[in-house]
Amino acid sequence: MNQIADVLVIAEQIQTDLQSISLELLGAARQLAGKLGVGVQAIIMGHNIGDIPQTLIHSGADEVFVVDQPELAEYTTLTYRRALITVLESLPRTPHIILCGATTIGRDLAPRIAAYFKTGMTADCTELDIGDYEHKSKVDPSKIGIYHNCLYSIRPSFGESLKARIIGPWRNPQMATARSGAMEPIQPDTSRSGNIVPVKVNFQETDFRVKVIETIRDVASNVDLTKAKVIISGGFGLGGPEGFDIVRDLASVFKDSAVGSSRRGVNAGWISYSHQVGQTGKTVRPELYIALGISGAIQHRVGMGKSKTIIAINKDESAPIFQYAHYGIVGDLFVVVPLLKEQFKKALASAGRG
Amino acid sequence: MSKGFRMAVLVKQVPDTSSVAGVNPDGTVDRARAKKMMNPYDKYALQKALEIKSAYGGEIIVISMGPPPAIDILYEALEYGADKGYLLTDKQLAASDTLSTAYALYNVIQFLGKVDIVFTGLQTTDGDTAQTGPQIAERLDIPQVTYCEELEINNGRVRASRVIEGGKQWLDLPLPCLITVANSAGKIGHKRFANVYKMKELLRDKESLSKMVFVVSLADIGADPNLTGLAGSPTVVGKTWKLGEIGGSCVMFKGESPAHEVELLVNRLIENHCGIEELLK
Repeated sequence: MNQIADVLVIAEQIQTDLQSISLELLGAARQLAGKLGVGVQAIIMGHNIGDIPQTLIHSGADEVFVVDQPELAEYTTLTYRRALITVLESLPRTPHIILCGATTIGRDLAPRIAAYFKTGMTADCTELDIGDYEHKSKVDPSKIGIYHNCLYSIRPSFGESLKARIIGPWRNPQMATARSGAMEPIQPDTSRSGNIVPVKVNFQETDFRVKVIETIRDVASNVDLTKAKVIISGGFGLGGPEGFDIVRDLASVFKDSAVGSSRRGVNAGWISYSHQVGQTGKTVRPELYIALGISGAIQHRVGMGKSKTIIAINKDESAPIFQYAHYGIVGDLFVVVPLLKEQFKKALASAGRG
Repeated sequence: MSKGFRMAVLVKQVPDTSSVAGVNPDGTVDRARAKKMMNPYDKYALQKALEIKSAYGGEIIVISMGPPPAIDILYEALEYGADKGYLLTDKQLAASDTLSTAYALYNVIQFLGKVDIVFTGLQTTDGDTAQTGPQIAERLDIPQVTYCEELEINNGRVRASRVIEGGKQWLDLPLPCLITVANSAGKIGHKRFANVYKMKELLRDKESLSKMVFVVSLADIGADPNLTGLAGSPTVVGKTWKLGEIGGSCVMFKGESPAHEVELLVNRLIENHCGIEELLK
């Protein structure tokens, strides 16, 4: 038996919709588990969740713990906390690593679980890896040593323009949340098989201190930026909500496109939050990302820096976005974009002839 | 029983990266030289507490953990209308991660006695973790609402809304509880002139000030030093590096006419086989 325990993913559903973050986490977990030579476990909690456990197996889980009870129909911190603690304490071995989504649910639940187990946790990771670590600091002599198979939780520190690798090898589980869109799912394979393990949870009265009065979700408005092949994003340089017309217009020449926004565009109320790319929004990696009037602060960059081709159009030549875009045009976007649209159409026409 | 609610608001002093001081040309921060400010997210937490106080009455106690100069943000909170401040400062606290920070702040809250609501910002601009609030709630064994936007209290029950993916949710919960306030929760009010004036007076009257703003150590609040700072932190920063260039140098098109630049750009995209033709419809 491997002396290292498994990698466990906390899968997430809202109103029985499996959230895509779960598949991304499974993709990351498979990579980590591959390096460690261990298996991937998943936990799914909810009510009437149907074939979600099977989907999790197809997407990379070897073993799925299922808590399907009416008390879990809606997410509340304390009921899900109880279910998660029950499952984790029922396992013969504490997972080596636990991954959770950096979503409004994951960021609510995971820190409490880490505090309950008094273990380390790193928020909002953009990369995860496995490696060695030597602790030399003499502040706490009990920590000194060389550690193997550590979880590397890698995340940007926005305020300081640094990337940091956080390590906590002294206690398992080593926990991390990952940003939506930052990890890649594996290709689902319906021939994959695995164990589905139902778990019954006995709730306590104190678990029901929070009651959900109402959940208002507009799934249609929850734009799926993370799946579009082309994203045209607008920022403060658009000047107002009507500026997004030109963004939509340019998006219309592409087959599979979506409209994005910088944080400032959303904060100004020009477009809804579901369009936001960046630190407090979504992480995207389309084939083509065109940034219009976005200065490109580090908070934006972390959300789109992995795009295959980045084109920036901005009046200000010193805008940070020009430091990491692949192509840049310095100019007034309201002049440039219509010309660009024409040129794209020409390119398509000549490609059609060729 | 006194009227209103006893509220604790947790605030943190962070580097002001919008200031030039201490910010290196590559964007990295020299923490010692950087100008300091109250974490912007915390102002939403303080604002919520002020709204509750003005609607129902009560007392607002601001709490911070940090080096001695962090006392400035407690003074600032008093200018906004907080009643008292506590600064937990202790050399042992250096290099605390979120778990040990939560332990230390939990002890300050316990030290204060009965608290109805603990408010925190959603996250800090220097850590960005959003973990400390829920970890304190776990220690206190109280319910929490994270990403809270709206909040009201009726007959001792809290009604709060929180942001979720693609919408919002309304929750009902009892006191005491911990609330982390979203930065979409509304506008932040102004400092009150009378409070600013009073703060000026207080800074000259050390005796009165010492009855409103307290500096405490781990020993004062009875916290176990082994559970704080580096010793009490299950995680460490193993390595940091500058955010490297992603796509190499940017090919810039400028200077000629916009039409010419656009043509050059699109030609370059085609020459470089970016697959642009496949993406167009």
